[in-house]
Amino acid sequence: MSDITSGHMAVPTAIPIPSVIIATSSAAWFYLHQGLSKLPGGHHVISYIEKATQDDPYRTAVEASLILYGIYYYLSKPQQKKGLQSNRPNLSKQEIDSLIDEWEPEPIVIPPINDKETQETYWRLSKIPIIENHGISKYIDFTRDDNKESFENVLNLASNNFLSLSETEEVLQVAKDTIKNYGVGACGPAGFYGNQDVHYNLEYTLAEFFGTESCCLYGQDFAVSSSVIPAFTKRGDVIVADDQVSLAVQNALQLSRSTVYYFQHNNMESLEELLEQLNDQERKENLPAIPRKFIVTEGLFHNSGDVAPLPQLVELKRKYKYRLFVDETLSLGVLGNTGRGLPEQFNLDRSTSIDITVGSMATAFGSSGGFVLGDTFMSEYQHIGSNAYCFSASLPAYTTTVVDKILHIMDNDNSTVLNLQKLSRTMFHFFNSRVQLNEYFNITSSEFSPVLHLELKESKRIERFGYSKDTLFTELANLQKRKISDVFIEPFENEEIFLQQIVDSILVNHNILISRHTIVLKQETLPIVPSLRISCTASMTEDELLTACENIITTINKLCTA
Amino acid sequence: MCIGEPMDPHTKRENEYGTLTDSKYLHQVTTMDSEMASRRPIIDTPPYYITLMTYLNYLILIILGHIRDFFGIRFQQKSHRDIMEYNGYAPWYSKFESFYVRRLKMRIDDCFARPTTGVPGRFITCVERLSHNHNEIHTFPGNTQTCLNLSSYNYLGFAESEGECTSAALKAVEKYGVQSGGPRTQIGTSDLQIQTERMIADFVGKEDAMIFSMGYSTNANFFNAFLDSKCLVISDELNHTSIRTGVRLSGAAVRTFKHGDMDLLEKLIRDQIVMGQPKTNRPWKKILLCVEGLYSMEGTLCNLPKLIELKKKYKCYLFVDEAHSIGAMGPTGRGVCEIFGVDPKDVDILMGTFTKSFGAAGGYIACDKWVIDRLRLDMTTPNYSEPTPPPVLAQIIASLETIIGKINPGEGTERLQRIAFNSRYLRLGLQRLGFIVYGNADSPVIPMLLYCPSKMPAFSRMMLQRRIAVVVVAYPATPLIESRVRFCMSSSLTKEDIDYLLRHVSEVGEKLFLKLNSGKSSYDNSIQRWDIEDVIKYTPEDCKNNKFFVN
Ligand SMILES: Cc1ncc(COP(=O)(O)O)c(C=O)c1O
Repeated sequence: MSDITSGHMAVPTAIPIPSVIIATSSAAWFYLHQGLSKLPGGHHVISYIEKATQDDPYRTAVEASLILYGIYYYLSKPQQKKGLQSNRPNLSKQEIDSLIDEWEPEPIVIPPINDKETQETYWRLSKIPIIENHGISKYIDFTRDDNKESFENVLNLASNNFLSLSETEEVLQVAKDTIKNYGVGACGPAGFYGNQDVHYNLEYTLAEFFGTESCCLYGQDFAVSSSVIPAFTKRGDVIVADDQVSLAVQNALQLSRSTVYYFQHNNMESLEELLEQLNDQERKENLPAIPRKFIVTEGLFHNSGDVAPLPQLVELKRKYKYRLFVDETLSLGVLGNTGRGLPEQFNLDRSTSIDITVGSMATAFGSSGGFVLGDTFMSEYQHIGSNAYCFSASLPAYTTTVVDKILHIMDNDNSTVLNLQKLSRTMFHFFNSRVQLNEYFNITSSEFSPVLHLELKESKRIERFGYSKDTLFTELANLQKRKISDVFIEPFENEEIFLQQIVDSILVNHNILISRHTIVLKQETLPIVPSLRISCTASMTEDELLTACENIITTINKLCTA
Repeated sequence: MCIGEPMDPHTKRENEYGTLTDSKYLHQVTTMDSEMASRRPIIDTPPYYITLMTYLNYLILIILGHIRDFFGIRFQQKSHRDIMEYNGYAPWYSKFESFYVRRLKMRIDDCFARPTTGVPGRFITCVERLSHNHNEIHTFPGNTQTCLNLSSYNYLGFAESEGECTSAALKAVEKYGVQSGGPRTQIGTSDLQIQTERMIADFVGKEDAMIFSMGYSTNANFFNAFLDSKCLVISDELNHTSIRTGVRLSGAAVRTFKHGDMDLLEKLIRDQIVMGQPKTNRPWKKILLCVEGLYSMEGTLCNLPKLIELKKKYKCYLFVDEAHSIGAMGPTGRGVCEIFGVDPKDVDILMGTFTKSFGAAGGYIACDKWVIDRLRLDMTTPNYSEPTPPPVLAQIIASLETIIGKINPGEGTERLQRIAFNSRYLRLGLQRLGFIVYGNADSPVIPMLLYCPSKMPAFSRMMLQRRIAVVVVAYPATPLIESRVRFCMSSSLTKEDIDYLLRHVSEVGEKLFLKLNSGKSSYDNSIQRWDIEDVIKYTPEDCKNNKFFVN
């Protein structure tokens, strides 16, 4: 648009301009001139345009077309966006209505179809023991299946309260005293006056007992990992995890947003190889900032009862500058001479070897809740950045004073811990020495674990149920790939039923309660097979335990050979 | 810090739960009529200059924070170690992510997480705390302050160290101990648990229920039991973090709608049914609407009748989190369903917590029996996590029995009528004094707007000086400019306590220039600036009348 309204503007003659353009642009300029001169400050724009056109009319043309394009682009953008969002064909209202009418959702959960199937899937519910009229202790009375079965004075080999210290009168007295002073609930999250002095005290005591700088309490053990890890990780961070971690940690990894790699269970070569690879990769990528890097494992594995090789893990984490996360839900109060957990077991110092420790107050300590041990920066940050801490009410006061008391007892006298360890070892060796049993079952747990896991041997599994760990996992992976979440795998189910038969037979014939390892297959994202778990507690005598073990083995042998 | 010194029993009792001073100070809530139920909340807005000042306030804080970061990182490396790479390790959290907390929240950290001791009842005992280095480290000189408690979720006043609930808890300690064994499916189920489940199911009007030891984890581990990536969750934008975490864990697709906007919701549902899953355009397997009964930062209710209508029309499922409304709201404490007079059977999933009205801990989920049976198999919590411990169960049972009148007939009704009166009185009183207050008339959560972030610490500290414990909340729990103080009402407060509170809030509000009410959300549409004496004189009667409340 080179233009001419004011006659003194020179148009280069080398390029002829069609008269149409000259005419329209003159008209455009005329109206623009008129419009602008009415606006306040418009004359500045006019004089700018006039001056610019005089110097270089082609520049004005370019500028004008840029502005026009800008306007066009701006106007067309919303349509483009919409186009990206939906590729919905233009539907009429009736069509939309009929689509909406046609839509049939699936039932909210899988419905029971008929009586037979109901029985098949719901047998697990009828096997849940309901303890009547008293708490968890060495001997229990319970009913099952809507009072259809009832059992009395059964030896309890299914409990997680390994130390059983919270059964003692002095601890119960502490609980009662606290309730008399604090009531039950704390009635608010920690940030809003829910943090009572007893919570502060316990955080302090726990940190001191386990030798870390600080501690942070949570309302439930299962919710801890899945809140701590995501509080510190974001996209781009790296997590290297053991491939047999429990579901709580699996959930945490899923929520972490980070890139997760797995190393073979407790296999340090596999870990080192992986770390080396990642190191190379990082060097190549040359990132502007170091990502946060974590090694994630468990103290005593929930799924197998194994112990993680801490010294090697610490060595590797230092070498490759990773932070070490250990879920010690089952190992605190159990491992180490005084029950201080995994580091004590290997004569290491917790504060320099493990960066994040997750513990539970509901297992060995026999109260409720969970906690995280670590340095001050980390703990303080959880107080403001960890969801399950910030957005949930504090623990009832009595649960904290109970743990406080138990820690004092343990500090003064480690005989309970030693007794538990002795029983665990006895139990392990007793099972391990039985040739016939070992033909059918593998003992996956370590001798330090108070929970003994019996897993059917792979060859027997193939023989009896026609599947193996690998085929199960391939099948699960396939389902996952096709995003099918309703998992029902018949051979797996059959094995679970078989294990439950063992549990039932031991219960009926010998009045001893052991349990299946209760897992929900559809929620597990890592390879897992069913197992039996037998847990001893410090309140038992060696004789009681050994007699029970003998009975268990006899029953298992009988059922396996049948 | 130590457990409080012995006190004479009468004082102790009064400190936890004040005796009703006059039967005038009770109010029986009734079910809403359809006109009230369909009302849209009217939100009052501050004058423009307040909004401007608030932004300016943030701007200054942010600029100052950045300047301090800039120099701090260069000249005070030691105290900034937490945000710097150290020894080849990345910092625990990044400078950017933690900016708000380090530079804004830290300055007023004395207003948050105040340590307390004893029962969080009518009065709460705050442990004094000092800091000489801008709240990095606190020291405790050992004094305590007894403050009027407007901060705990002690709606029905069941936080007590005496009375039926406490003796039930004590008996449970004796009979059942404190430990819970292991996961529910393994060994952790006791007759107490079955009894609690039965009672809560009957209370909320569902066939069956399931209980868990932590409210947050109830939600956080719930959705993955029945949703997957082919399902859609339509969620109110203000839903609690626990719900969002749970939905994220399930992998389901999420769409949010503007808080309480039912028209947008309907449009969204229609769109989603038509469009189906992204990319594949296959229809969604299930669509779940997630809302809360009473929003704890807003005091607003979900529009349950409309939600049920939509749910039925479009065959969606409905999840209602009643954490704050169960027990505290409704003619007999049965939550939002009862307030709106809808059949609880029309809501597919009712969730709630025991942390609030029941003075206990944990959460529940109530559904049809066949759904619960399936969930027991598929949910992770009953299979992997600790169950609710016996003393807590006993507290839940006893408080529930009190509410339904099985224990001490009449007491439950009185508690309900007291919280209804107290909430209405405080709400109307504040409104008449000229403050901007959000929320429904009967909501025991009463948020009062402060706007400027610097008024938060001022308000909180001045109230503490006057022996009143309040909770102030700001971004990210609220929209950026809507910093607020949140009063949580309780049955344990007497009318005179609220008079005391109103007088002081009025005084402090004057000083801090908080009386900004424009009359937009008052019943007669006029600016309210009542004198405090008039408020105290007329409001107790007026607050029982619905005509004085527009929301
Ligand atoms: C809506 C909602 N759901 C769940 C929770 C979590 O409950 P709890 O404190 O028992 O963990 C809360 C508590 O703040 C809440 O407000």
